[in-house]
Amino acid sequence: MSSTRPRIEVEDVAKSFDGRTVVDVESLVLGDYPIEGLIGPNGAGKTTLMRMIMHSTSLDRGVVKLLPEGPGSEPVTLSDLPPSRMAKHGLVKSNQVIMDFEQLTVMDSLLLSVAHPSDERPFHLFAESTVYERERDSISWYLDRFGFEDPLGFARSAGEKKLLDIIRCLLLEPKVLLLDEPTAGLPDDVRDQVMEVIGAKAATGEMAVVIVEHDLDVIWSLCEYVHFMAEGSVVLQGDPEYIRAHATVVEKYLGSEHVGS
Amino acid sequence: MNLNWLDAFLISGLFFVMMIIGLALLLHLQLGLARIANFGVVGFWGIGMYAFGVLYVKADWPFGDPWAFLVAALFGTLVAGLAGLLVGWIIADLDTDGVLVGTLGFATVVSILATTEQDLTGGALGMGGLNFPYDIGSVKGNEALWLLVLTAVVAVILYYVHRVHRVPYGRLLIGLGDNEPLARSLGKATFRTKLWLFVLSSAGMGLLGSLFAVKERFLAPEHIGIDITIAAMVGLVLGGTSRVWGAVVGVFLAVGLFDIIIQSYLPLPREWYTQGIPVFREMVFGAVLIAVLLFRPSGVLGDMRRDKLMRKMHGE
Repeated sequence: MSSTRPRIEVEDVAKSFDGRTVVDVESLVLGDYPIEGLIGPNGAGKTTLMRMIMHSTSLDRGVVKLLPEGPGSEPVTLSDLPPSRMAKHGLVKSNQVIMDFEQLTVMDSLLLSVAHPSDERPFHLFAESTVYERERDSISWYLDRFGFEDPLGFARSAGEKKLLDIIRCLLLEPKVLLLDEPTAGLPDDVRDQVMEVIGAKAATGEMAVVIVEHDLDVIWSLCEYVHFMAEGSVVLQGDPEYIRAHATVVEKYLGSEHVGS
Repeated sequence: MNLNWLDAFLISGLFFVMMIIGLALLLHLQLGLARIANFGVVGFWGIGMYAFGVLYVKADWPFGDPWAFLVAALFGTLVAGLAGLLVGWIIADLDTDGVLVGTLGFATVVSILATTEQDLTGGALGMGGLNFPYDIGSVKGNEALWLLVLTAVVAVILYYVHRVHRVPYGRLLIGLGDNEPLARSLGKATFRTKLWLFVLSSAGMGLLGSLFAVKERFLAPEHIGIDITIAAMVGLVLGGTSRVWGAVVGVFLAVGLFDIIIQSYLPLPREWYTQGIPVFREMVFGAVLIAVLLFRPSGVLGDMRRDKLMRKMHGE
């Protein structure tokens, strides 16, 4: 277990919609391992919990903190901050459903992601080349790796939009990256490439990754640690083998084919 | 200078057209890029106009023009900017309906204040005492020169808008207008961005109001009616909300056609101009707005084409 990587600590958080409790998690730490999985049946509250961590959904109760990387830095109480401040603290989340800027091209979208607030001041009328020159290499690294049909044009397909969403997140160089169903809508070969890039970045210790995913084969093969949610709470935690060994839970929620042998 | 060829009506018409272009360009930043439908344009313009006029007329100036004019115009600009801060702060997190009601309400408040604060504004009777900050010999010459001053200011605004489309700031405005939660998740301070946009564009509207006050030389509440907002809105939508030149093309087509061609050059009976035409104009503007939104929502110039722009800027 590493203590130098930033972690997210969730303390006694709850959220209900129309009187129905969707999330009620007593205590959870994310980021102890380079890549962790968050799984569970539909309606278990995974996406809501992610949104609560990002504070894009308000909390009925509880606190979410970002624990610092090393000694000397203070924990940040994320649940006191507006959603727009998360990226600054190194916390970034990709979106489950396709989220895109309809008016912006692929290149626009990536440049928007990497531009600093100081580049975006109303009277910086010649900042474009500064940003472009500074970021060209990191942007082309992704564009070369993942072939967009027309990088200077608009994203053509749902797959391209989904991929764009993930690349936007990666360009922000997060310390903690939350991926909400990253593989839904991606073609298999692109999915494998994405996972390879993310796996490599996580392995170097650059960032901690938490993946919410329905494709459990991705989880079993990629994650070192898995949190299992059901009915709003985390009911089981451990490495993939440990999770799969709990035949009753896994069978009840995921189907018998995922029970470990 | 011989200005016989220049018709006084033409100067007035062009002045009005130019001013509406300025307002529509500023509205383009709000509506076309950041997708904030400001229906209170005349409020920001009017508060700038009155702040300028009241200070210029009432203050005991230790120095003469053009300094008195410049200080008062700066004051009008600042007051409009502050109004933008206040209104922007109220509406920045509201939905489209809320923005519409909030901005429309603000314009109404300005109009009512202009009427009721008689000691300051002269109330419904209006207030005179304004003049050009120079005198080049003839009224027509002064007016023509003032038209040039306004044209220069609008040209600066046009250049600014043109640049905004080509820098990260413009991309931020488009992004937050397009998908605000997504922009926020990328770490963009969307609330602050909208607030600053409102402050700056409102200040610009206030400056245009100050320039208009000088041209009219008389402040009256009937100057700050909703027809100003509608003219800017119809012009912008007709030309193309999201295009740099949309405001210019659209305002020339709508306001230019009416206020210059029909008002000045068609041989129509005199009494029509006072009674029929202003009403007819608003009806036609309404019809144009409906027709454009139905048949060509992106206006004469069409959609924003970021792909073309990106190819031009970053293509190999």
